[in-house]
Amino acid sequence: MYNFEFSKPSTVADAVAALASEDAQALGGGQTLLPTMKQRLAQPETLVSLTGIDELKGVCQGDNGAVVVGGATTHATVAADAAALYPALAALASHIGDPQVRNRGTIGGSLANNDPAACYPAAALGSGATITTNKRDIAADDYFQGMFTTALEEGEIITSVSFPVPEAANYQKFVQPASRFAMVGIFVAKYSDGVRVAVTGASEDGVYRWSEAEAALSSNFSASALSDLSVSSDGMITDLHATAAYRAHLVKVMTGRAVAAAS
Amino acid sequence: MDKFGKAQPVKRVEDVRFLTGQGRYSDDIAPENALYGYFLRSQVAHADITTLDTSDAAEMDGVVAIFTADDLNKAGVTGDCSGAAVTNRDGTKGAKPRRPTLAEGRVRFVGETIALIVATNLNAARDAAEMIEVDFDERPVHLGQKPGGTAIHDEAPNNQAFDWGLGDEAATNAAFDAAAHTVSLEVEDNRVIATSMEARAVWAEPVEGRLHVNISGQGVWNPKSAIAKYLNMSKDDVRVTNPDVGGGFGMKAMTYPEDLAIAFAARTLGQPVRWFAERGESMMSDNAGRDLVSLAEFAFDADHKITAYRLKTHCNLGAYNSGFAQFIQTELFSKVLTGTYDVPAGYMNVVGTYTNTTPVDAYRGAGRPEAIYVLERLIDHAARELGVDPWDLRRKNFIRPDAFPYTTVTEQPYDVGEFAKVLARVEAECDKAGFPARKAEAAKRGKLLGQGLCYYIESILGAPDETTRVVFENGGAKLFVGTQSNGQGHETVFASFLSDHTGIPMERIELVQGDSDAIPSGGGTGGSRSVTVQNTATLANVDKMIEGFTAFLAELEGASATDISFDDERFRIPGSNLTPTMLEVADLAREHGRDDLLDVSATIKLDNRSFPNGAHVAEVEIDPETGVTEVVRYTVTDDFGNLINPMLVEGQIHGGVAQGIGQAITEHVVFDEDGQLLTASFMDYGLPRADNMPMIDFTTEGTPSLYNPMGMKGCGEAGTVGALAAVSNATLDALSEVGVTRVDMPFTPLRVWEMIQNAKADAAA
Repeated sequence: MYNFEFSKPSTVADAVAALASEDAQALGGGQTLLPTMKQRLAQPETLVSLTGIDELKGVCQGDNGAVVVGGATTHATVAADAAALYPALAALASHIGDPQVRNRGTIGGSLANNDPAACYPAAALGSGATITTNKRDIAADDYFQGMFTTALEEGEIITSVSFPVPEAANYQKFVQPASRFAMVGIFVAKYSDGVRVAVTGASEDGVYRWSEAEAALSSNFSASALSDLSVSSDGMITDLHATAAYRAHLVKVMTGRAVAAAS
Repeated sequence: MDKFGKAQPVKRVEDVRFLTGQGRYSDDIAPENALYGYFLRSQVAHADITTLDTSDAAEMDGVVAIFTADDLNKAGVTGDCSGAAVTNRDGTKGAKPRRPTLAEGRVRFVGETIALIVATNLNAARDAAEMIEVDFDERPVHLGQKPGGTAIHDEAPNNQAFDWGLGDEAATNAAFDAAAHTVSLEVEDNRVIATSMEARAVWAEPVEGRLHVNISGQGVWNPKSAIAKYLNMSKDDVRVTNPDVGGGFGMKAMTYPEDLAIAFAARTLGQPVRWFAERGESMMSDNAGRDLVSLAEFAFDADHKITAYRLKTHCNLGAYNSGFAQFIQTELFSKVLTGTYDVPAGYMNVVGTYTNTTPVDAYRGAGRPEAIYVLERLIDHAARELGVDPWDLRRKNFIRPDAFPYTTVTEQPYDVGEFAKVLARVEAECDKAGFPARKAEAAKRGKLLGQGLCYYIESILGAPDETTRVVFENGGAKLFVGTQSNGQGHETVFASFLSDHTGIPMERIELVQGDSDAIPSGGGTGGSRSVTVQNTATLANVDKMIEGFTAFLAELEGASATDISFDDERFRIPGSNLTPTMLEVADLAREHGRDDLLDVSATIKLDNRSFPNGAHVAEVEIDPETGVTEVVRYTVTDDFGNLINPMLVEGQIHGGVAQGIGQAITEHVVFDEDGQLLTASFMDYGLPRADNMPMIDFTTEGTPSLYNPMGMKGCGEAGTVGALAAVSNATLDALSEVGVTRVDMPFTPLRVWEMIQNAKADAAA
């Protein structure tokens, strides 16, 4: 690790001001950034911790019924506090990493990083969530822009994420056998106006919606509705744990299992 | 049995220390003023170093010194750490190229040490490493297990390190010519990284003209010799210690370039220097295990009795000739070549290859898991080919109990064995009869269930001699041993054994290990040798202690020595009310100035080692849709002769099976075509986790060994030896239902899914 300056503001305004300095970087739970820094693969001048800002923490239900999660809320808190409000979201949070990761890592950190193998992007996109920052509201469909790429601007901070609660939902994670990140993760959510299917871990473009499956499931919410669909391996990630063809295959298998578990 | 094997499941006394953070490992006890060492390592697999300029780096804050090969040379330090060589089939010696401590103008694997930076803190050392200017002119790389490609060493033009053979080739070939049936199978044995929980560590400190080197290792005497030789020092001037060690598995048994370089730096600078490998460094530079491919063949007569066994193996040695590397897949493999079967003729030929990968050497079992893996895959394959039950084929070919003592085709003197009895026990324990019902139940859930058997035999190795020294002081006894715990529980097993035979309370016994100043010689840990050799020496020592104390009491009490007895707790003297314990006699001896009785040593040498054996039965459940493979049921029945501490034995089996399941299912070392290690962190290298492990049903069916007074058989490596073929045979059994005919480890989801897809494609074609 290289040396760096550290600040821990207690308000969003102070955090935004601190992030304005050159080579400053926001720090959520640090579960990606700190290991990267330890390997000397990142060299921020200043780390601005967001974990001292109380207004960014917690889970509540909004006036419209949506579950709202503060940007600096840990996975463990979501797993516990969203369990009654949005069980599929809580279940997803309860299987991210290990207990140490879940007690440090935050939803804002995960969504800002947009790792192609992260779980939360699937929940946000699959739920049609709204990502709220210190500047604006961003629809999940506009927010995710490819691997490690989002609509966030420099210095913009995720303050909360609002999840409309579906009638039924389920997340199926096929873990990469070593890291246990999602090698393919499928979030299926059934709303009154249709079904959303978000796929993480598989594509070179990061999290995406499988629109053919959404159409098929919107008219028949059962795993059998997927039987005639095929998933192309074009654009799927190939690495030592899975070929593109294997990932494409798993997308269909795990979607079927998510639907079966949700219905 | 009572005299020598008081089987007691004594709990491990060291665990409180280990589990409460009180363990003291090398990096915990480095001298406070020690400087930090950090190695600049090669980032390419094969290249000439065209530039190596440390001048800017040397000027940086906190940097004390930077050493390269030139500095070693200038200091007259020209030794290396190349290992020994086997004798080729043509009588020449295997190629034994130099292995430099720091790269000499050329690098041969990713992770090879190029320069040692010594600084006042680790961050400064790392900063300096980044400032060293180094340029490479890359050469073509050679990978895989077979010779060929561009030469990595002048000594091995075709990258062939050795061509070794053993057995009667003519008789074997004749048996094949005359056979009623022959079967053959090619089997790969995948490379694994040892991944000890505590990575390698070393620190060195000059002390009053001597050098103290502390190593996370498997013994102190080999490194002591190597370091003294390397630094041109007298052995008397080098002290090597091993503190608590967090796992070795054979990987820490060898002397590494880092050990020598840190010792050199401390001696040169006159200050202590410390080094502790980061996990990534470990994965790149620790000796790896396995990495071979074998073509194995059986010849059978018309009655399905084996008439000959023939084997051709290619093994990967990595970039250099590590300490014992050439002996693993040759001599050590040969110890159990034909396993538990009565095989009249056999021949093995092994070719070793240098490649641009991390060196490969001993890993838990070292050659014997590899041999049993091939053999037990082949016999299962033979049963399939011959259309007979694999358990029956084994039974038919077992060496019969009345055939012992039995000398194998590789001249191994098996003393005892009741293989059919052990097999019958495991058959009941694993509920073999219930397997069809379990398989049907799995099928209802869409899963494939397979069952696999491995009947293994092990050959205990390592140095056959050992010394135990007991010193009575401070109202207790110090027990000096030449073996070295790497976490196996030696403090418990050696102290409880001495306590059992002397009556000295366990809490008054202090174990002393891992200090070349305190103990003149020893064999360290390796080859499952420790308890057998150490406790045999302890028994000899106890006899000497009793003899000395008896004579002393006879003189003191005016009794005849022959009338005095010791009942494992107290001395009994006819006509005397005195019934002293051993500690009380020690006090008496001290009062009477008989200090000669208070420091007793005994050295033993075993003529033969033991041959533990047993049966592992694995049941594997496969999801054919995803390829996910899980071991769901696991049964072991072992013959370890008499057990010394059954609980520690079972723990060894659990750990050994876990490492076996790891290699079979999750551990997968991958180098890319340029020789870059892709699995250099736990993000990509799959160590088995608790949820990969089934509960293990463990029972023993012991036939005491005749080769040591306790009748015991070593158990440290046996679990790994049995697990590989049991899991693999179960996997093939499950997959054979969907048309798969060949499986090679590791059974990762991707590999198994692809096996299924290929079988489907073949069936459709």
